[in-house]
Amino acid sequence: MLQARQLTKTYGDYPALQRLDLEVKGGEIYCLLGANGAGKTTTINLFMGFTAPTAGEVLVDGRRVVYSNQATNELLAYIPENLNLYGNLTGRENLQYFAGLSKKRLNGTEADELLRSVGLQAAATSQRIRYYSKGMRQKVGIAIARAKGAGNLLLDEPTSGLDPQASNDFARLLEESRQNGVAVLMATHDLFRAKESGTHIGIMRAGRLVHSLASREITLGELEQLYLATMQMDVHV
Amino acid sequence: MFKLIVRKELRTAVRDVRLQVSAVLLIGLMCTAVLLGRQGQQQIQAQRAAAQTAMYDVWLDQGEKHPHSAAHYGHFAFKPKPVLSFLDVGLDNYTGVSVFLEAHQQNEVSFSAAQDGNGTTRFGELTAALILQVLFPLLIIFLTFNTLSREREEGTLRLAYAQGLSMRRLFAGKVAATYLTVLLIFLPTMVLAFVLLYQSGGGVAAGAVGKLLALTAGYAVYFFIFVLLCALVSAFTRRSEVALLTLLGLWIVCCIVVPKAATSLADSLYTTPSQFEFRRDIDEGVAGGIDGHNPADERLATLKQEVLDEYRVSTTEELPVNWSGIAMQAGEEYTDRVYDREFSKIEHVFRRQNRLSEWLGFLNPYLAIRHLSMALAGTDFDHHVAFARAAEAYRRNFVRVMNKDMELNHHPGIAFGDYTRGRDFWSTIEPFSYELPGTAALLAHQWRSLAALLVWLSALVGIAIVFTPKISPL
Repeated sequence: MLQARQLTKTYGDYPALQRLDLEVKGGEIYCLLGANGAGKTTTINLFMGFTAPTAGEVLVDGRRVVYSNQATNELLAYIPENLNLYGNLTGRENLQYFAGLSKKRLNGTEADELLRSVGLQAAATSQRIRYYSKGMRQKVGIAIARAKGAGNLLLDEPTSGLDPQASNDFARLLEESRQNGVAVLMATHDLFRAKESGTHIGIMRAGRLVHSLASREITLGELEQLYLATMQMDVHV
Repeated sequence: MFKLIVRKELRTAVRDVRLQVSAVLLIGLMCTAVLLGRQGQQQIQAQRAAAQTAMYDVWLDQGEKHPHSAAHYGHFAFKPKPVLSFLDVGLDNYTGVSVFLEAHQQNEVSFSAAQDGNGTTRFGELTAALILQVLFPLLIIFLTFNTLSREREEGTLRLAYAQGLSMRRLFAGKVAATYLTVLLIFLPTMVLAFVLLYQSGGGVAAGAVGKLLALTAGYAVYFFIFVLLCALVSAFTRRSEVALLTLLGLWIVCCIVVPKAATSLADSLYTTPSQFEFRRDIDEGVAGGIDGHNPADERLATLKQEVLDEYRVSTTEELPVNWSGIAMQAGEEYTDRVYDREFSKIEHVFRRQNRLSEWLGFLNPYLAIRHLSMALAGTDFDHHVAFARAAEAYRRNFVRVMNKDMELNHHPGIAFGDYTRGRDFWSTIEPFSYELPGTAALLAHQWRSLAALLVWLSALVGIAIVFTPKISPL
C-alpha cells in the first residue's frame, strides 16, 4: 500500500507539491493526471526516496520512506519515463543485472522466460538494448519490476512515446500486476490510458491534487472535460 | 552485488568500441615507447661502456711518463645509462654524459643530449613516463567522466537506486571496474618491461627489478588517484559535459600549468648561479690558497717549513721524500675543499628547487609521480649528483695515488723527466665504475613524493566514503 500524508515539496519558493493526501491499496491502479509541472513526477520521486519531502510523510506498506535510506526500496518497483538501460548489454543482461541489484539472481533461461512473459520476442532477448524500440525497453522495465516481485509499482509516464500496440501491451501487463495484488501509482498525460487502466484517477494542478475519483464513476468524455476545466482553473497557492 | 556491478561495468567497457580503439592505440604506443626506449638505452649504455673501456686502455697505454704528467694526462668517467631510463629519461638529456678527470681541475659533466641534439630534444621524447604520467590520466578522464553523470542523465541511476543499490556500493563498483580496465591497459607494458629486464640479465637487471616493481606500484597508486578523482567529479556533477570540462581543466592544470609554474617559482625563489659565476668563485677561492705550482705562495711556504721541521732538515733537497709531490697533493686537497664548498652551495640551491617541487606534489599528484619515477629510473638530479660525486672521488683518488708515488719514489736529485712510471703502475688505478643507489635508499630519499601520493589516496578514499552515500539519483 502506498500512502502520502500532507506531503509537501518546495524548491526554494516554488511549491512543487502541496499537502498531498493519497492512498493506493494493493490491487488498485491510481493514475495521476496533470500537465507538466503539476507535481506528478515529484510525487513519484518522493515515494522512491529520490528526494526528501519538505513536510508530510510517505509510507510504503506502513513503513516511512526516509530520504537516502533505501530500506523501503525493497517494497517498491519503479519504471521511469525514458527507460534507457545499458545500450551495450542485451535485454537479458540488463534484466539479470537489475534483478541482481535487488538480490534476485536469474539465470539465462529464467531471464528469457520472464522477458517472453512480458511480450518480448525470443530473438530480442540476446540483442543489445541499443537496438530496442522504446516499447521493447519498457517491456524490459516491466520484467525488471516483476523480477523484483515488489508489492508496489511506481510508473512515471510509462506510455509516453509508445505506439498504440505497445501501449496496449503495456496496459495488459499492468492489469496482470493489479490482479496479482500490486498497488500501482502511475503518473501519466494519457487520459485514455488512465481511464482504461486505472481503478482510480487523480488530477493534479500546480502541485495540488484537485480531484480524486474512482475510474468507474466517470466516462472518458467527462474525464476529459474535468481535466480541461481543472487546467483552466485558478489554483490558490 | 559488488562483483555484479564490476562484472557489468567491465562487460560494458569491453564492448565499447571507443575504449577498444583507445586501449589498442595506447598499448601500442606504450609498447613502442618501451621497446624503442630499451633499444636506445642499451645502445647508449654499450657506447658508454665501450668508451669507458677505451679510455681506460688509453690511460694504460699512455706510455712511460712522470706520475704528475699522468695526472694531467687525465682520464674520462662516463655516466652509465641507468637500465630503467628506458621508461623515464628524466633529466638525463640535460645533465651530461661524461667528465674529464685531471689534476688540479674539477670539470663539469658535459656533452648532454640536449646540447648535441636538435630542438625536438627540448620538447621531450615519447617515453613511457610521458605516456603514463600525462596520457594515462587523459584516458582515465575519458573512461570515467560520465560514469555516474550519464547514468543520472539516462535514468539508470534512479532505476539502480530503486532496486535498492546503495550509491556508495555503486561508486565502489564503478571505481573498481574502471581501475581494472586501466590496469589491463597499463600492465602489459610493465610485463614487457620486466621481460626486457630479464633478457638483459646480470646484476644491473637484478637491482632494477625492485625499482621496476616500486615504479609499477607507484603508477598503480597514481592511476587510482585519478580514477577516484574523476569518478567523484562525475558523481557530483549534474551534466556529463560539465564533468568532462572540469576534468580536462584539472588535467591541464596538473600536467601542464603547475609543473611549468613550479619550475619558474623554484627558479625565482632559489636562483642558481651561472656556470661563469660558479667557476669564478672556485678560481677566486683557489687563487687565495695553495696551487702547488706557485713557489711564492705563502701557504706553500708555511707547509714547506712544517715538512722541513718534521724531517728535521733545512732544505727540500735533504728530504727523504719528494717535496713537489707533497705540495701537489696539498694543492689538490685545498682545491678540493674550495670545490666542495662551492659545489655544495650550488647543489643546495638545486636541492631546494627540487624540494619545493616535491612538496608541491601534495597539491598535484603529477609532480609526486614525476619525482618518484625519475628517482626510480635513476635519471633525477640526485642520481646526477651521485655520479658527479663518484667521478670526483675517482679523480681525487687517482691524483692522490700519482702524487703519493711522486712523494715517495721520486727522490731528490732525480730530474723530473728522468722519473717515469709505466703501464704496471697505471693499472693500479682501477677502471671507473659507478653503482646506482639501491631501491630502499631511493624510496627513503623520495619520502615526500611517496607521502604526497598516499595523502592524495587517503584523502580521496575518505571523501568517497563520506560523500558517496549522498550521491543524488536525480
